[in-house]
Amino acid sequence: MAELFKWSGRNRDDAAGSAPTPAAAETVTSSKVFQRFIAALTPRPSPVLLDLGPVVGANISFYGERLACKLYVEDLFAEIEAIHRRGAADTMSTALVERLHHGEASIDGILCWDLFDFLDRATGQAVAARLIKMLKAGGALHALFGTTAVELTHYTRFIVEADDSLRQRPYPATKVKRMVRQMGDINRLFDGLKGIESVLLKTSARETLFRK
Amino acid sequence: MWKRDEAVRPPQPTSGNATSGTAEPSAIRTEATRQQERDMVNIGKSVVIKGELSGSEDLTIEGQVEGRIELKQNVLTIGPNGRIKAEIFAKSIVVQGEVHGNITASERADIRDNGSVDGDLSAPRIAIADGAHFRGSIDMQRTAGGTKPTVEHKGSDSKSSDKSPEHRSVVETKPAATVGSAAQPVSQTTVSPPVR
Repeated sequence: MAELFKWSGRNRDDAAGSAPTPAAAETVTSSKVFQRFIAALTPRPSPVLLDLGPVVGANISFYGERLACKLYVEDLFAEIEAIHRRGAADTMSTALVERLHHGEASIDGILCWDLFDFLDRATGQAVAARLIKMLKAGGALHALFGTTAVELTHYTRFIVEADDSLRQRPYPATKVKRMVRQMGDINRLFDGLKGIESVLLKTSARETLFRK
Repeated sequence: MWKRDEAVRPPQPTSGNATSGTAEPSAIRTEATRQQERDMVNIGKSVVIKGELSGSEDLTIEGQVEGRIELKQNVLTIGPNGRIKAEIFAKSIVVQGEVHGNITASERADIRDNGSVDGDLSAPRIAIADGAHFRGSIDMQRTAGGTKPTVEHKGSDSKSSDKSPEHRSVVETKPAATVGSAAQPVSQTTVSPPVR
Protein backbone atom coordinates (compact mmCIF):
# COMPACT_ATOMS: atom_id res chain seq x y z
CA MET A 1 0.00 0.00 0.00
CA ALA A 2 2.85 2.33 0.94
CA GLU A 3 4.42 1.60 -2.41
CA LEU A 4 1.18 2.52 -4.06
CA PHE A 5 1.02 5.85 -2.25
CA LYS A 6 4.66 6.49 -3.04
CA TRP A 7 4.02 5.71 -6.67
CA SER A 8 1.02 8.00 -6.90
CA GLY A 9 2.88 10.70 -4.98
CA ARG A 10 5.77 10.59 -7.42
CA ASN A 11 3.38 10.91 -10.29
CA ARG A 12 1.78 13.90 -8.68
CA ASP A 13 5.17 15.53 -8.30
CA ASP A 14 6.07 14.81 -11.90
CA ALA A 15 2.77 16.19 -13.03
CA ALA A 16 3.29 19.32 -10.98
CA GLY A 17 6.41 20.00 -12.98
CA SER A 18 4.45 20.44 -16.18
CA ALA A 19 0.93 21.10 -15.02
CA PRO A 20 -0.63 24.53 -15.23
CA THR A 21 -0.01 26.68 -12.16
CA PRO A 22 -2.55 28.94 -10.51
CA ALA A 23 -3.30 32.24 -12.18
CA ALA A 24 -1.34 35.36 -11.21
CA ALA A 25 -2.87 38.76 -10.61
CA GLU A 26 -4.04 40.82 -13.55
CA THR A 27 -2.43 44.11 -14.45
CA VAL A 28 -3.17 47.08 -16.67
CA THR A 29 -0.41 48.36 -18.91
CA SER A 30 -0.28 51.32 -21.19
CA SER A 31 0.24 50.63 -24.85
CA LYS A 32 2.05 52.95 -27.19
CA VAL A 33 1.60 51.01 -30.38
CA PHE A 34 -1.88 49.51 -30.27
CA GLN A 35 -3.49 52.85 -31.10
CA ARG A 36 -1.36 53.04 -34.23
CA PHE A 37 -2.52 49.57 -35.16
CA ILE A 38 -6.15 50.67 -34.82
CA ALA A 39 -5.43 53.88 -36.71
CA ALA A 40 -3.90 51.86 -39.54
CA LEU A 41 -7.09 49.84 -39.94
CA THR A 42 -9.65 52.61 -39.39
CA PRO A 43 -9.60 54.03 -42.94
CA ARG A 44 -9.93 50.59 -44.51
CA PRO A 45 -13.51 49.73 -45.48
CA SER A 46 -14.83 46.68 -43.61
CA PRO A 47 -11.43 45.44 -42.54
CA VAL A 48 -10.81 41.79 -41.74
CA LEU A 49 -9.09 41.24 -38.41
CA LEU A 50 -7.43 38.06 -37.16
CA ASP A 51 -7.02 37.65 -33.40
CA LEU A 52 -4.65 34.83 -32.45
CA GLY A 53 -5.62 34.92 -28.77
CA PRO A 54 -8.63 33.63 -26.87
CA VAL A 55 -11.99 35.21 -27.54
CA VAL A 56 -12.66 38.21 -25.30
CA GLY A 57 -16.12 39.76 -25.41
CA ALA A 58 -14.83 43.23 -24.51
CA ASN A 59 -12.36 43.19 -27.39
CA ILE A 60 -15.01 42.16 -29.86
CA SER A 61 -17.06 45.08 -28.62
CA PHE A 62 -14.11 47.41 -29.09
CA TYR A 63 -13.32 46.21 -32.62
CA GLY A 64 -16.98 46.32 -33.56
CA GLU A 65 -17.40 49.90 -32.43
CA ARG A 66 -14.10 51.20 -33.75
CA LEU A 67 -13.61 49.24 -36.92
CA ALA A 68 -16.93 47.55 -37.80
CA CYS A 69 -14.73 44.76 -39.00
CA LYS A 70 -15.07 41.09 -39.70
CA LEU A 71 -13.15 39.30 -36.99
CA TYR A 72 -11.61 35.84 -37.07
CA VAL A 73 -10.69 34.30 -33.74
CA GLU A 74 -8.03 31.59 -33.85
CA ASP A 75 -6.91 30.88 -30.32
CA LEU A 76 -3.43 29.51 -30.99
CA PHE A 77 -2.67 29.52 -27.27
CA ALA A 78 -5.32 26.84 -26.80
CA GLU A 79 -3.66 24.84 -29.55
CA ILE A 80 -0.23 25.27 -27.96
CA GLU A 81 -1.59 24.17 -24.59
CA ALA A 82 -3.27 21.13 -26.09
CA ILE A 83 -0.06 20.15 -27.86
CA HIS A 84 1.97 20.47 -24.66
CA ARG A 85 -0.54 18.37 -22.76
CA ARG A 86 -0.32 15.69 -25.45
CA GLY A 87 3.47 15.87 -25.23
CA ALA A 88 3.63 16.39 -28.97
CA ALA A 89 5.81 19.48 -29.23
CA ASP A 90 7.34 18.18 -32.47
CA THR A 91 3.98 18.67 -34.20
CA MET A 92 3.63 22.28 -33.03
CA SER A 93 4.77 23.96 -36.22
CA THR A 94 2.54 21.92 -38.53
CA ALA A 95 -0.47 22.17 -36.22
CA LEU A 96 -0.28 25.94 -35.84
CA VAL A 97 0.29 26.62 -39.53
CA GLU A 98 -2.67 24.37 -40.38
CA ARG A 99 -4.84 26.44 -38.06
CA LEU A 100 -3.98 29.51 -40.13
CA HIS A 101 -6.04 28.45 -43.10
CA HIS A 102 -7.00 31.90 -44.34
CA GLY A 103 -6.18 32.80 -47.92
CA GLU A 104 -3.20 34.81 -49.05
CA ALA A 105 -3.64 38.57 -48.77
CA SER A 106 -7.02 38.15 -47.08
CA ILE A 107 -6.43 39.81 -43.69
CA ASP A 108 -6.10 43.52 -42.93
CA GLY A 109 -4.92 43.29 -39.35
CA ILE A 110 -3.33 40.56 -37.21
CA LEU A 111 -3.11 40.59 -33.43
CA CYS A 112 -0.38 38.22 -32.27
CA TRP A 113 -0.21 39.46 -28.68
CA ASP A 114 2.64 37.54 -26.94
CA LEU A 115 2.28 34.41 -29.06
CA PHE A 116 5.90 34.24 -30.19
CA ASP A 117 7.16 34.02 -26.58
CA PHE A 118 5.75 30.48 -26.57
CA LEU A 119 7.17 29.37 -29.92
CA ASP A 120 10.66 28.05 -30.58
CA ARG A 121 12.72 29.53 -33.36
CA ALA A 122 11.60 27.14 -36.13
CA THR A 123 7.92 27.20 -35.19
CA GLY A 124 7.97 30.98 -34.83
CA GLN A 125 9.49 31.33 -38.27
CA ALA A 126 6.90 29.03 -39.86
CA VAL A 127 4.00 30.83 -38.19
CA ALA A 128 5.37 34.27 -39.04
CA ALA A 129 5.84 33.28 -42.70
CA ARG A 130 2.21 32.16 -42.85
CA LEU A 131 1.00 35.40 -41.22
CA ILE A 132 2.99 37.51 -43.68
CA LYS A 133 1.34 35.66 -46.58
CA MET A 134 -2.13 36.17 -45.15
CA LEU A 135 -1.68 39.90 -44.65
CA LYS A 136 -3.01 42.24 -47.34
CA ALA A 137 -0.79 44.95 -48.79
CA GLY A 138 -0.92 47.83 -46.32
CA GLY A 139 -2.15 45.51 -43.58
CA ALA A 140 -0.86 45.78 -40.01
CA LEU A 141 0.47 43.28 -37.49
CA HIS A 142 0.69 43.97 -33.77
CA ALA A 143 2.81 41.84 -31.46
CA LEU A 144 4.42 41.83 -28.03
CA PHE A 145 7.72 40.14 -27.24
CA GLY A 146 9.04 39.38 -23.77
CA THR A 147 12.63 40.38 -23.16
CA THR A 148 13.49 38.27 -20.13
CA ALA A 149 14.30 34.57 -20.34
CA VAL A 150 11.97 33.24 -17.68
CA GLU A 151 9.77 30.19 -17.26
CA LEU A 152 6.32 31.08 -18.49
CA THR A 153 3.63 29.56 -16.33
CA HIS A 154 0.74 31.63 -17.65
CA TYR A 155 -0.75 32.71 -20.89
CA THR A 156 -2.13 36.22 -20.93
CA ARG A 157 -5.56 37.28 -22.04
CA PHE A 158 -5.21 40.85 -23.36
CA ILE A 159 -8.32 42.90 -22.79
CA VAL A 160 -8.52 46.16 -24.67
CA GLU A 161 -9.64 48.89 -22.28
CA ALA A 162 -8.80 51.80 -24.56
CA ASP A 163 -6.56 52.68 -27.49
CA ASP A 164 -3.66 53.05 -25.12
CA SER A 165 -4.51 50.63 -22.36
CA LEU A 166 -4.47 46.84 -22.22
CA ARG A 167 -5.56 44.80 -19.24
CA GLN A 168 -3.52 41.63 -18.90
CA ARG A 169 -5.34 38.75 -17.30
CA PRO A 170 -3.17 35.66 -16.80
CA TYR A 171 -4.50 32.15 -17.00
CA PRO A 172 -2.63 28.91 -16.37
CA ALA A 173 -0.31 27.38 -18.90
CA THR A 174 1.92 24.38 -19.07
CA LYS A 175 5.33 25.62 -18.04
CA VAL A 176 7.59 26.55 -20.91
CA LYS A 177 10.72 28.68 -21.20
CA ARG A 178 10.12 31.98 -22.93
CA MET A 179 11.72 32.31 -26.34
CA VAL A 180 13.44 35.68 -26.11
CA ARG A 181 14.02 37.46 -29.40
CA GLN A 182 16.23 40.47 -29.84
CA MET A 183 15.11 43.29 -32.12
CA GLY A 184 17.18 41.87 -34.97
CA ASP A 185 15.55 38.45 -34.51
CA ILE A 186 12.11 40.07 -34.57
CA ASN A 187 12.89 41.94 -37.78
CA ARG A 188 14.19 38.73 -39.37
CA LEU A 189 11.08 36.89 -38.18
CA PHE A 190 8.89 39.31 -40.10
CA ASP A 191 11.17 39.73 -43.07
CA GLY A 192 8.91 41.07 -45.79
CA LEU A 193 7.05 43.43 -43.47
CA LYS A 194 8.10 46.93 -42.60
CA GLY A 195 8.77 47.69 -38.96
CA ILE A 196 6.78 50.83 -38.18
CA GLU A 197 7.24 51.16 -34.46
CA SER A 198 8.90 49.28 -31.64
CA VAL A 199 8.58 50.35 -28.03
CA LEU A 200 9.98 48.82 -24.87
CA LEU A 201 7.20 48.98 -22.30
CA LYS A 202 7.59 49.35 -18.55
CA THR A 203 6.70 45.68 -18.25
CA SER A 204 9.90 44.90 -20.21
CA ALA A 205 7.82 43.68 -23.13
CA ARG A 206 8.65 44.97 -26.58
CA GLU A 207 5.57 46.17 -28.41
CA THR A 208 5.88 46.25 -32.18
CA LEU A 209 3.86 47.24 -35.21
CA PHE A 210 4.59 45.96 -38.70
CA ARG A 211 2.97 46.94 -41.99
CA LYS A 212 3.01 45.10 -45.28
CA MET B 1 -36.28 17.58 -18.23
CA TRP B 2 -38.66 19.40 -15.94
CA LYS B 3 -39.21 21.98 -18.59
CA ARG B 4 -40.36 19.38 -21.07
CA ASP B 5 -42.72 17.94 -18.54
CA GLU B 6 -44.11 21.39 -17.93
CA ALA B 7 -44.41 21.95 -21.66
CA VAL B 8 -46.65 18.96 -22.22
CA ARG B 9 -48.61 19.24 -19.00
CA PRO B 10 -52.22 20.27 -19.60
CA PRO B 11 -53.17 23.68 -18.24
CA GLN B 12 -54.00 23.64 -14.55
CA PRO B 13 -57.39 24.98 -13.58
CA THR B 14 -56.83 28.41 -12.11
CA SER B 15 -58.63 29.80 -9.12
CA GLY B 16 -60.71 32.92 -9.38
CA ASN B 17 -58.17 34.84 -7.31
CA ALA B 18 -55.37 34.20 -9.79
CA THR B 19 -57.25 35.81 -12.64
CA SER B 20 -59.18 38.47 -10.80
CA GLY B 21 -58.05 42.05 -10.48
CA THR B 22 -57.23 41.53 -6.79
CA ALA B 23 -54.80 38.70 -7.44
CA GLU B 24 -51.51 38.62 -5.54
CA PRO B 25 -48.56 39.86 -7.65
CA SER B 26 -46.69 36.64 -6.92
CA ALA B 27 -49.65 34.60 -8.12
CA ILE B 28 -49.77 36.62 -11.33
CA ARG B 29 -46.06 36.11 -11.77
CA THR B 30 -46.39 32.38 -11.21
CA GLU B 31 -49.20 32.18 -13.72
CA ALA B 32 -47.16 34.16 -16.24
CA THR B 33 -44.21 31.86 -15.67
CA ARG B 34 -46.38 28.81 -16.16
CA GLN B 35 -47.79 30.27 -19.35
CA GLN B 36 -44.27 30.97 -20.56
CA GLU B 37 -43.22 27.43 -19.78
CA ARG B 38 -46.25 26.05 -21.58
CA ASP B 39 -45.34 28.15 -24.62
CA MET B 40 -41.76 26.91 -24.59
CA VAL B 41 -41.04 23.86 -26.70
CA ASN B 42 -38.24 21.57 -25.65
CA ILE B 43 -36.26 18.97 -27.52
CA GLY B 44 -35.11 16.64 -24.79
CA LYS B 45 -31.69 15.19 -24.10
CA SER B 46 -32.38 11.83 -25.69
CA VAL B 47 -33.79 13.23 -28.94
CA VAL B 48 -31.67 13.11 -32.10
CA ILE B 49 -32.82 14.98 -35.17
CA LYS B 50 -31.12 14.80 -38.55
CA GLY B 51 -32.53 17.02 -41.23
CA GLU B 52 -34.25 20.37 -41.28
CA LEU B 53 -35.94 21.84 -38.26
CA SER B 54 -38.11 24.92 -38.65
CA GLY B 55 -40.89 26.55 -36.70
CA SER B 56 -42.59 29.70 -35.51
CA GLU B 57 -42.21 29.56 -31.76
CA ASP B 58 -39.41 29.69 -29.23
CA LEU B 59 -37.48 26.46 -28.89
CA THR B 60 -35.02 24.97 -26.42
CA ILE B 61 -32.81 22.14 -27.61
CA GLU B 62 -31.19 19.83 -25.08
CA GLY B 63 -30.69 16.97 -27.53
CA GLN B 64 -28.76 16.58 -30.78
CA VAL B 65 -29.59 18.19 -34.08
CA GLU B 66 -27.71 17.77 -37.35
CA GLY B 67 -28.72 19.63 -40.46
CA ARG B 68 -30.39 23.02 -40.47
CA ILE B 69 -32.43 24.96 -37.94
CA GLU B 70 -34.68 27.87 -38.91
CA LEU B 71 -36.61 29.87 -36.35
CA LYS B 72 -36.39 33.20 -38.08
CA GLN B 73 -38.97 34.97 -35.90
CA ASN B 74 -38.19 33.27 -32.62
CA VAL B 75 -35.70 32.58 -29.88
CA LEU B 76 -33.59 29.45 -30.08
CA THR B 77 -31.86 28.25 -26.92
CA ILE B 78 -29.23 25.55 -27.10
CA GLY B 79 -29.31 24.14 -23.58
CA PRO B 80 -26.24 22.92 -21.66
CA ASN B 81 -26.82 19.40 -22.98
CA GLY B 82 -27.53 20.50 -26.54
CA ARG B 83 -25.15 19.25 -29.26
CA ILE B 84 -25.75 20.91 -32.60
CA LYS B 85 -24.09 20.34 -35.97
CA ALA B 86 -26.16 22.63 -38.06
CA GLU B 87 -26.53 25.90 -39.84
CA ILE B 88 -28.72 28.01 -37.58
CA PHE B 89 -31.00 30.91 -38.47
CA ALA B 90 -33.08 32.54 -35.73
CA LYS B 91 -34.18 35.90 -34.42
CA SER B 92 -32.25 35.40 -31.23
CA ILE B 93 -29.92 32.59 -30.20
CA VAL B 94 -28.63 31.61 -26.78
CA VAL B 95 -25.85 29.01 -26.70
CA GLN B 96 -25.19 27.12 -23.49
CA GLY B 97 -24.19 23.84 -25.12
CA GLU B 98 -22.11 23.02 -28.21
CA VAL B 99 -22.67 24.27 -31.71
CA HIS B 100 -20.66 23.26 -34.77
CA GLY B 101 -21.88 25.33 -37.66
CA ASN B 102 -22.65 28.84 -38.72
CA ILE B 103 -25.05 30.99 -36.73
CA THR B 104 -27.09 33.84 -38.16
CA ALA B 105 -29.30 35.83 -35.81
CA SER B 106 -31.38 38.75 -36.98
CA GLU B 107 -31.41 40.32 -33.49
CA ARG B 108 -28.98 38.83 -31.03
CA ALA B 109 -26.56 35.99 -30.40
CA ASP B 110 -25.51 35.15 -26.88
CA ILE B 111 -22.78 32.61 -26.10
CA ARG B 112 -22.96 31.91 -22.40
CA ASP B 113 -20.31 30.67 -20.01
CA ASN B 114 -19.44 27.07 -20.99
CA GLY B 115 -21.17 27.56 -24.33
CA SER B 116 -19.10 26.50 -27.31
CA VAL B 117 -19.37 27.63 -30.91
CA ASP B 118 -17.23 26.45 -33.80
CA GLY B 119 -18.42 28.37 -36.79
CA ASP B 120 -19.12 31.79 -38.15
CA LEU B 121 -21.31 34.15 -36.19
CA SER B 122 -23.38 36.90 -37.74
CA ALA B 123 -25.70 39.09 -35.66
CA PRO B 124 -26.25 42.78 -34.96
CA ARG B 125 -25.90 42.18 -31.22
CA ILE B 126 -23.42 39.69 -29.86
CA ALA B 127 -22.64 38.71 -26.28
CA ILE B 128 -19.81 36.32 -25.50
CA ALA B 129 -19.06 35.34 -21.92
CA ASP B 130 -15.39 34.93 -21.06
CA GLY B 131 -15.85 31.29 -20.15
CA ALA B 132 -17.26 30.58 -23.57
CA HIS B 133 -15.36 28.82 -26.32
CA PHE B 134 -15.52 30.39 -29.75
CA ARG B 135 -13.66 29.63 -32.90
CA GLY B 136 -14.62 31.12 -36.21
CA SER B 137 -15.45 34.52 -37.53
CA ILE B 138 -17.65 37.29 -36.20
CA ASP B 139 -19.22 39.51 -38.78
CA MET B 140 -19.53 42.99 -37.37
CA GLN B 141 -19.77 44.94 -40.59
CA ARG B 142 -22.00 47.99 -40.45
CA THR B 143 -25.53 47.41 -41.63
CA ALA B 144 -27.03 49.34 -44.54
CA GLY B 145 -28.89 51.56 -42.07
CA GLY B 146 -25.59 52.72 -40.64
CA THR B 147 -26.21 51.32 -37.18
CA LYS B 148 -23.22 49.93 -35.42
CA PRO B 149 -23.26 46.39 -34.12
CA THR B 150 -23.32 45.96 -30.37
CA VAL B 151 -21.24 43.41 -28.60
CA GLU B 152 -21.59 42.73 -24.92
CA HIS B 153 -18.98 41.34 -22.63
CA LYS B 154 -19.90 39.20 -19.69
CA GLY B 155 -18.13 37.26 -16.98
CA SER B 156 -14.50 37.18 -16.03
CA ASP B 157 -13.33 33.60 -15.79
CA SER B 158 -11.52 31.90 -18.59
CA LYS B 159 -12.07 28.33 -19.58
CA SER B 160 -11.74 28.50 -23.32
CA SER B 161 -8.13 27.46 -23.25
CA ASP B 162 -8.94 24.39 -21.25
CA LYS B 163 -11.16 22.98 -23.93
CA SER B 164 -9.55 20.05 -25.61
CA PRO B 165 -9.21 20.07 -29.38
CA GLU B 166 -11.70 17.23 -29.49
CA HIS B 167 -14.36 19.82 -28.76
CA ARG B 168 -13.48 21.75 -31.85
CA SER B 169 -13.61 21.25 -35.56
CA VAL B 170 -12.70 23.33 -38.54
CA VAL B 171 -14.13 26.83 -38.66
CA GLU B 172 -15.94 26.36 -41.91
CA THR B 173 -17.97 23.44 -40.58
CA LYS B 174 -20.90 22.83 -42.82
CA PRO B 175 -23.89 21.00 -41.38
CA ALA B 176 -24.53 17.54 -42.65
CA ALA B 177 -27.44 17.31 -45.02
CA THR B 178 -27.99 13.65 -44.32
CA VAL B 179 -31.42 12.48 -43.51
CA GLY B 180 -32.27 9.78 -41.03
CA SER B 181 -30.60 8.51 -37.90
CA ALA B 182 -30.04 5.12 -36.44
CA ALA B 183 -31.12 6.38 -33.06
CA GLN B 184 -34.29 8.09 -34.16
CA PRO B 185 -34.83 8.52 -37.87
CA VAL B 186 -36.56 11.79 -38.64
CA SER B 187 -36.33 13.09 -42.16
CA GLN B 188 -37.90 16.44 -41.55
CA THR B 189 -39.18 17.89 -38.33
CA THR B 190 -41.36 20.92 -38.11
CA VAL B 191 -41.89 22.34 -34.68
CA SER B 192 -45.52 22.24 -33.80
CA PRO B 193 -47.40 23.79 -30.90
CA PRO B 194 -47.09 21.89 -27.63
CA VAL B 195 -49.76 19.45 -26.61
CA ARG B 196 -51.99 21.04 -24.04
